[in-house]
Amino acid sequence: MSFAQANVTVVDDDVLVLRSLDRLLQSAGFQVEIFSSPHDFLEKRGANPSGCIVMDLSMPGLSGLELQQALFSTRDARPVVFISGQGSVPASVQAMKAGAIDFLTKPVDEAKLIGAVRVALDKDRAAREHRADQAAITARLSSLTPREREVLIGVVAGKLNKQIAAELGTAEKTIKVHRARMMRKMGVDSVAELVRLWTLTQPPQA
Amino acid sequence: MDAHTTTASVAAALRPPRWLLPALAVAIGYYLGARLGMAFTLHPHPISTLWPPNALLLAALLLTPRRDWWWLLLAALPAHIAAELQSGVPTVMVLGWYASNCSEALIGASLLRAFVRGVPRLDSLRDTGILLLTAALAAPVFSSFIDAALVRLIGWGTSDYWDLVNTRLFSNALAGLMVVPLILAWAAWLAAGAGRMRGARYAEAAVLFSGLLAVCLHAFAMPHNDAHTAPAVFYAPLPFLLWAAVRFGPIGVASALPAMAVATIWGTVHGLGPFTTETPQDTAREMQLFLIAASVPLLLLAVALAERARIERESRSQLTHLSRVAMLGELSGGIAHELNQPLTAILSNAQAAQHFLANKPGERAILSEILQDIILADKRAGDVIDRLRAMFKRGETRTEALDANRLVRDVMSLAHGDMTTRGIEVIPRLAASLPEISGDRIQLQQVILNLIVNAADAMSMCAPNDRLLTVHTLATKGRVHINVVDRGPGFTVAPDILFEAFYTTKPQGLGLGLSISKSIVSAHGGRLRAITRKGGGAAFLITLPALPRRP
Repeated sequence: MSFAQANVTVVDDDVLVLRSLDRLLQSAGFQVEIFSSPHDFLEKRGANPSGCIVMDLSMPGLSGLELQQALFSTRDARPVVFISGQGSVPASVQAMKAGAIDFLTKPVDEAKLIGAVRVALDKDRAAREHRADQAAITARLSSLTPREREVLIGVVAGKLNKQIAAELGTAEKTIKVHRARMMRKMGVDSVAELVRLWTLTQPPQA
Repeated sequence: MDAHTTTASVAAALRPPRWLLPALAVAIGYYLGARLGMAFTLHPHPISTLWPPNALLLAALLLTPRRDWWWLLLAALPAHIAAELQSGVPTVMVLGWYASNCSEALIGASLLRAFVRGVPRLDSLRDTGILLLTAALAAPVFSSFIDAALVRLIGWGTSDYWDLVNTRLFSNALAGLMVVPLILAWAAWLAAGAGRMRGARYAEAAVLFSGLLAVCLHAFAMPHNDAHTAPAVFYAPLPFLLWAAVRFGPIGVASALPAMAVATIWGTVHGLGPFTTETPQDTAREMQLFLIAASVPLLLLAVALAERARIERESRSQLTHLSRVAMLGELSGGIAHELNQPLTAILSNAQAAQHFLANKPGERAILSEILQDIILADKRAGDVIDRLRAMFKRGETRTEALDANRLVRDVMSLAHGDMTTRGIEVIPRLAASLPEISGDRIQLQQVILNLIVNAADAMSMCAPNDRLLTVHTLATKGRVHINVVDRGPGFTVAPDILFEAFYTTKPQGLGLGLSISKSIVSAHGGRLRAITRKGGGAAFLITLPALPRRP
């Protein structure tokens, strides 16, 4: 099963419920880690964690929504699946707005839970790959000289070598050399490819 | 037949019939009553001024099911003969009087049963009114006609028919007034479990009765030489009788009146006291009228007070129940959550078990763990329902020995769901060992629950880390304390105002919770106070008297 190594973290203050979810998810083939208190979870989670989190919405000390905020502010980007004793509409809206994968009501439907966990794990993997790509591109970008970077920005803006040369106050021939070096450093063969990589590093525009 | 059934049937055969003890009591009571009645005779005329046996029999009939009445009437016969034969009356007359005595008891009891269901209650004016009309009026009147007729028929003595009716009527009416309420009051007290009284109450009762006796003996059983008696003398017992009515209710008056009657009659029979006229008949009549006139209003006063107290108690208990149900309604979301948790655990465990059975059928250990958890979860759901059902029930107040820690834990688990949904952490700080307290479990739980819910409401605006609610229990000398402490904003008004009915700070609140809580705690002999804490937040302090520790 593709999820064999996937890590699902369950946080619920009710130990009986916690154990039952642990067993259910394990029986469906997931790797499961459990915490009975939100604070405990925040303290003991590893660095750069992967997988997804299944958590109770209402817990003493720190509610699920507050925990979600805490994760967000510590850049723990794992997708969250909420389970809740009573499906209060405002809470679920808030949770979904904050990026929760799903909001399930107790008693939890097995198929829905496993489905939501799979979606969450997929999303986590996709996000992880996306971040890895971004990191690689950022690394390549940082290997450029300031001049090469200026050329890149010109190329991405769709300018001709001549225009770039004029703007930078240098010969077109020089630009051609910079451009070739820049394209090699960025590992691309075409302008289209370069533009795709460049947009990946840009923050999405509203 | 095995050994058990043999033992059981032998025991059943040996068990005395239900009517035996009442019948024996009637026989003894009747005999003693008759001897007393004879002692209360104004010589030289053989007229008893107070004749208890008939009233005693009447009261016994009222306390027994109709099908057992014959046994009681039969039990009275030997007692009657034993008592009467000593006075040298012809056997025919003795039997005739037995018949007329029984007729009085039967007339009174049957009439009363026609109007009052079950045993008449001395905390109901209607019941008591009917009791006086039947036992102290109708029964003596009708049976006196029969009695006088029998006496004339048999030809005993020389008295005139109407004289006989008159004499007998007053003596039996007075007995009905004195004896029937006395027996009914004490029977009701025994039936209610013979409520324990505190030592101070016993002392008060002793002072009251010795005072009453002293006054009565002084007023009615001292040599009276003056032809003129100051009217104030007749009022001398009144303060004590009022004391009995107000402080001890119907049972107090029903006991005080016979005490006064015995003292008065004893004095009069011995030629003492203010009731002295030309003829014994008139003397007896004046004394009897005095006792009747004093008894009826005082008895009715005590009954009216008791009735008002009973109605108040009933409506308070209704109000308490209503506010409890309203509070549970507010908690219903939390309680649903509380039931949902174990249901979730059961479902997920069962589904996990299905997967394990399908994929790893060899793993028995995990299946046994799962089943163990399913049992735990199911029991937990059952506990929630049990506690809820107890709280919803509308029952009589029941006093029992209680452990304050257990009360707190029960309430905490009832409120757990609600507290969790509100993100409030309840921290129990319970004393390791507490003396027991005495009270009604449900009502005291209601108080604690009310305080916890209030505290939670007060903290709804607090930061998550500050939503802490602490429940302390501790013991000091002779007291048990339960303190509910929150970190909310405290009070904006004087704490006393919080306990006033209809004062509320909640948009949906009725403003009854705290006022009812306070009255519950007061009814338990305790105090409920509210204070604003120095560090912020409010504390509600329940103080209850502790029961003496068990040896």
